[in-house]
This record gives sequence, structure tokens and C-alpha cells, in this order.
Amino acid sequence: MTKPILMGAVAYDPKVVPIWDGIREYLKEVGPGMDYVLFSNYEAQVDALTSGFIDIAWNTNLAYVRTHRRTNGRCRALAMRDTDVDYCSVIVVRNDAGINSVADLRGKTLALGSRDSGHAAILPLYFLKRQDIDPARDLKLMRFDLDVGKHGDTGASEAAVLNAVASGQAEAGAVGDPFWAKALEERVINGDKVRLLWTTPTYHHCNFTALDSLEESRYKPWVEALLKMDYNNAEHRPLLDMEGLKRWLPAQTEGYRTLFEAVEEQGIE
Amino acid sequence: MTRPIATKIKAHYDGEDLGASEGLLVAIARLLDPLAEGEALELITENLSVADDLRIWCRRAGHRLVQAVPENGKSNIVIERGFVRRTLSDPAEWGVRIPRRGDTIDMRDWQVGRSAIIAEEAPRGGTLAPRGAAVEEGAPEIEFSIRKRSDIWANSISELYEQATSSQWVGARDIPWRELATLDEEVERSVCQIMTFLAENEYAALYVPARFIGQIHPHFSEAALFLSTVMVDEARHIEVFTKRALANGGGLGVASATTQLSLASLLEPNDFSTASFLLSVLGEGTFLDLLTFLEDHAPEQATREICRRARQDEARHVRFGIAHAKYTLEADISAARRFGKAVELRAEFLKSVSGVGALIEEALIIYAGGGMTPAALRAGTKRVAGLYETMHGNRVKRLAAAGFGIDQADHMSRLHTPNFM
Repeated sequence: MTKPILMGAVAYDPKVVPIWDGIREYLKEVGPGMDYVLFSNYEAQVDALTSGFIDIAWNTNLAYVRTHRRTNGRCRALAMRDTDVDYCSVIVVRNDAGINSVADLRGKTLALGSRDSGHAAILPLYFLKRQDIDPARDLKLMRFDLDVGKHGDTGASEAAVLNAVASGQAEAGAVGDPFWAKALEERVINGDKVRLLWTTPTYHHCNFTALDSLEESRYKPWVEALLKMDYNNAEHRPLLDMEGLKRWLPAQTEGYRTLFEAVEEQGIE
Repeated sequence: MTRPIATKIKAHYDGEDLGASEGLLVAIARLLDPLAEGEALELITENLSVADDLRIWCRRAGHRLVQAVPENGKSNIVIERGFVRRTLSDPAEWGVRIPRRGDTIDMRDWQVGRSAIIAEEAPRGGTLAPRGAAVEEGAPEIEFSIRKRSDIWANSISELYEQATSSQWVGARDIPWRELATLDEEVERSVCQIMTFLAENEYAALYVPARFIGQIHPHFSEAALFLSTVMVDEARHIEVFTKRALANGGGLGVASATTQLSLASLLEPNDFSTASFLLSVLGEGTFLDLLTFLEDHAPEQATREICRRARQDEARHVRFGIAHAKYTLEADISAARRFGKAVELRAEFLKSVSGVGALIEEALIIYAGGGMTPAALRAGTKRVAGLYETMHGNRVKRLAAAGFGIDQADHMSRLHTPNFM
């Protein structure tokens, strides 16, 4: 009998418990067993994965990049959410700030989420630089380093960014696109004050990461079972809604290249 | 311009300059709903942010923005519906129309569309939704113990509900309280004792349906709705009986142990049909005759009106009780034996109760005779004896109407508590 998978996740919200309890129950029914442990921050989870305490880590893009760097690439992305594939960051601006193009951001205050958030800080700066906006020279940065260690999962820093732009403390701000979509859907955006200016190129977000020493016979049935979860199934739907996806997909990795470069460029450990 | 995807477009919307968070998403979600996976909605917009906003929203909603082409200052956007069903249910009904009765819409006519299908037994898991609503998969399934139609239904139930709601009255306003004047002291004392007794009985009549409403499967919502009107009626009766006792210099009387014993036994049965049979057919039936008697001999207009209005409500409760007993007796051959057994058990339980109790009987005699003079007492005594005969005769008639044979009805009536309810 194969040993059940021990998975790690970061407890960024109380709903993490019902999510993984539910998925554990589902996996118990379809075959491959799983248990999970929760960490209070991604750094501890990366340590636990690289030291072999857990088999699989549910990682943010930054946690994946760190694992990859720490193991010299001897790790493997197994699966991800449909929403992780073509994630992007959104630059929002105040309508009255006179910003009509990315170039107009020069000289303005840009609000950013937590410094360890790939989508609300690291990648927006990386992609703006490729639009010839040098953060050090061209922008005044207003950082909201909230819930550091959770890599922006809580959304608290994005809420602060949006608030700063809406209230006029900052002329522009960066958030992840799911946060923006949710704000649109919940109609918390006042279209007279704040609008989307620009979206970055897409990149990958979270994935399940394993060390490449994890045998295929152990992770394969686990991943296959995960991919069979169905959003049109009433029992699966609440779990998938809480985790923010419509279906699980096999992992892709080419979309992490930009974050590898960004981490290098910005000197993030 | 060539559009290779144009063949899949099944819906169109001109969003003008409406922003995504200003309501545009409402139109898009609704127009995508009826489409099949892979079919598309074409949107024209003058709002520059919409294309990016929708690309982002689509990713989250499980759809795909496949085209955003600028055209003369507008954008032409095509969104392809994804595999996701927004609600896991049958579609909502459309094209159903309840027939009118003149200007009114009557519950008797609302069995149209899916609501017209009434099962003999409702499914085990119940939902707090109108019968016929498209219940979404994944909705919690609530256990309701009353889910057989014969355990709760009556053929006239919708008609009784409409009568109940159209006959509501207000205890504060609709009783001629200003007519109250000082009465003979013994008569007032009797009124107060009788009002206390009536209120006690109505507490039982309130709490019995209250015990069962929460157990009724909403598939039989007419029953839950009708019993709610019964509860409102009983609340109002408790209100006016209590007000009358307090209104004219007397006050509340004695709640005797025998009355309380008799009423407590009404809370015993654990199935609605038996409880309803004891309460509504036998108890409230007998109560009707009592209220008629009190109305006929009332010492003043306020008390007369209280009894008249309460009697009209009670008559409806009794009609329901008889109709439900009839429905149950026809559907379930064991019901007759169950009801008979319940009457016998209650009689056995109440064997220590030999009469209505001295305080009530004296009060009824003084009330009916109009005082404590010898002539009044003679008249009152005779009238109360007549009341008992009337009660027995009418009980037999009601039991016969419910479906019992005359001999069985007579036997059951004689076993009924001398405490009226």
C-alpha cells in the first residue's frame, strides 16, 4: 500500500480548513489518500518541502520560485488552478490623475501590495520596467506590506491599494486580476473615480510543488483524482468556489520565467 | 472584416457606455446563461475599460473573451460561454399564469405549472422553497417528519386559508370596548372566570399547531400556511379574552388543576392527525357550542362581540379539523383505530376529571341566568344543562361528518372530556 500524500498549505484564511478537509474527503472516496498540514507562512512551508517533511506544497508563484532556486531545479510543478494559468496584474488609476497611458505614470505615486506578493508588487514593477518605467527613478512607491509571509493571498494589501487610489492618496495602484474581477462583480468600484489603465502580460500563479524525488506512483493518482473534480458537481462546487477555480489543470511552468527574472532583478531572496 | 467565429454568436448586447461594475456584468451573465458551451455573445461597447475588465472577469467566471476589436470608436467584443453552469438546477418556469377570479388571485387556483404536482409523499430531504421552484443541487436537505400528504392535508385547505386571511380582525379596534359598563358583581366575577378559562383553552389551541408547523414538509405548504393563520387567530383570542378579564374591574380568575390537566393532555399526541382530531374536531368543536352559548347570554356588547368573532374563527378551525380527519380516514385505514384509541387513552388519563369544575360551572350558571337571584340561578342551571346536551349532539354530528358511524361517534363523544376542550 502506498503511503498517503502529506500536503502543505498556508492558512491565509479560516476557509483553508474546510477547503482541504473537503478535498481530503473527496480524495478518500476516489482512492489516493491525503492528509494536510497548515503553515502560517510560505517560508516555513518551503522549508518543510525541501526538508522532506511534506510531500507536496500548495505554493504561490513566489514560493515555487524559491523552492526551485533552493533545490537547483530539482522540483516539479504538478497541477494548478485554471485561474493560475493566465493570471495578470492590473494597474488601476484615478480618473482625475491625468493618466491615459503607461508612460503617464512617470512622476506619479503607485500603490503596491505586500512586498512578497508576486501579483500586487513584484511582477507589476517587473512589467512596468519593460514598459520603460523605472520604479526607482520614475515612481513614488506607496507600499502596503500587510500579512507578509502570505504572499498576498489574503487580499488585504490589495484592498489597501484600491482604497488608496479611490481616496486620492495614490494616483495609481497595482492589484491582481482576480481581485479586480471580484471588485467589479461586487460593484465596489466607483467607475467615476477609478478605472483599469493597463494589464500586464499574463503569468502563472499557484501550483502544487513536489521535490523530484517524489515517486510518480505516489503523485500521479493524486493529481489525476484532483483533475477529475467537477465544478458542475454540487459537492465539488463549494470547495472549488472557495479555492477560486473552475477546474484543476496539469501544471505548466513557462509562465514562471518572468518571476524568476523579477526576483533576480529586484534582489528578492 | 472577417470574423471566423461569427457563426457561434447566439446573443447580442449593446452596452453603450455602461461600465462593468455599473451593471454591464448583469446583462452579460444573463445573456450567457441560456447559451451552450462554445456559443458566444457579441457585445458592442463605447466604454474603453470594458474590454480589459471583461477579459479579467471572464477568466474568473469560466468564460473566454475571444475577440475585442475596435470599430469606429466602439469595441466589438465576443465572449464564448465556458463549461460552467451558473446554477445546478432545472431552468426557472416561464409562461405560467394563475387564472383570476375577477380582480382577485385565489390560493385555490395556484396549482399551476410545476406547483400543480402534489406528491402523496414528499421527498425525504426538504427545502425551504415553494413547491415547483427549481431547487439547486447542493442545497441542504432538511428532514421534515410530516411528509405524507394524508398526515396533514385537507381538500378544502386553500379555501380555508383564503377565508382565514380575509376574516382577520383587530382585538384593539374591532371589539366595542366603550360599551363596557359596571355589571352586577357576581356576573362580572363570572365573566372574568369564564374569560380566564377561555384563554387557557386557547393557549392549548395555539401550542398544538405550533408543535407541528416546523415538522411540515414545505411541499405541503398550504397546510403550514393555514395552520399559521390558526395560530394568529388563537393569539388574538388569547388577547381579547385576557383583555376582557382585565377591563372591567375584575381581573383574571383561577386556572384550575383539572382544566390544566385536560389541556396538557392535548399536547401529548406525537402525530399531527391525532392531535388535530382531539383538538379541532372534539375540542374546538365543543368550544363552538360554548361560544355560541356565551354569545347568546352575554351581559354586554363587548363580551358578545368577543364571543361572536372568536366563534367565527373557531368554526374555520373545526372545518379544517373535520376535513383533515376525513382525508386521513379515507387515505389510511388504520387512522380510525388510532383516533379511537387516542380518545380512550385521553379519557383514561382524565378519569379523575368528573366535570368542568365547580368554578366554571357556577360561573356559567350565573352568566347564563344573569345573576345570583333564585330566579336567575334556576334559569341559568337549566340553560347550562341544555348546553351539555347541545354539545354532545353536535359532537356526534361532527364525528359523523368526519366519517365515523353514528354508534362509534356517540361512544367517542361520551368519552370526550367534560372540560369541553
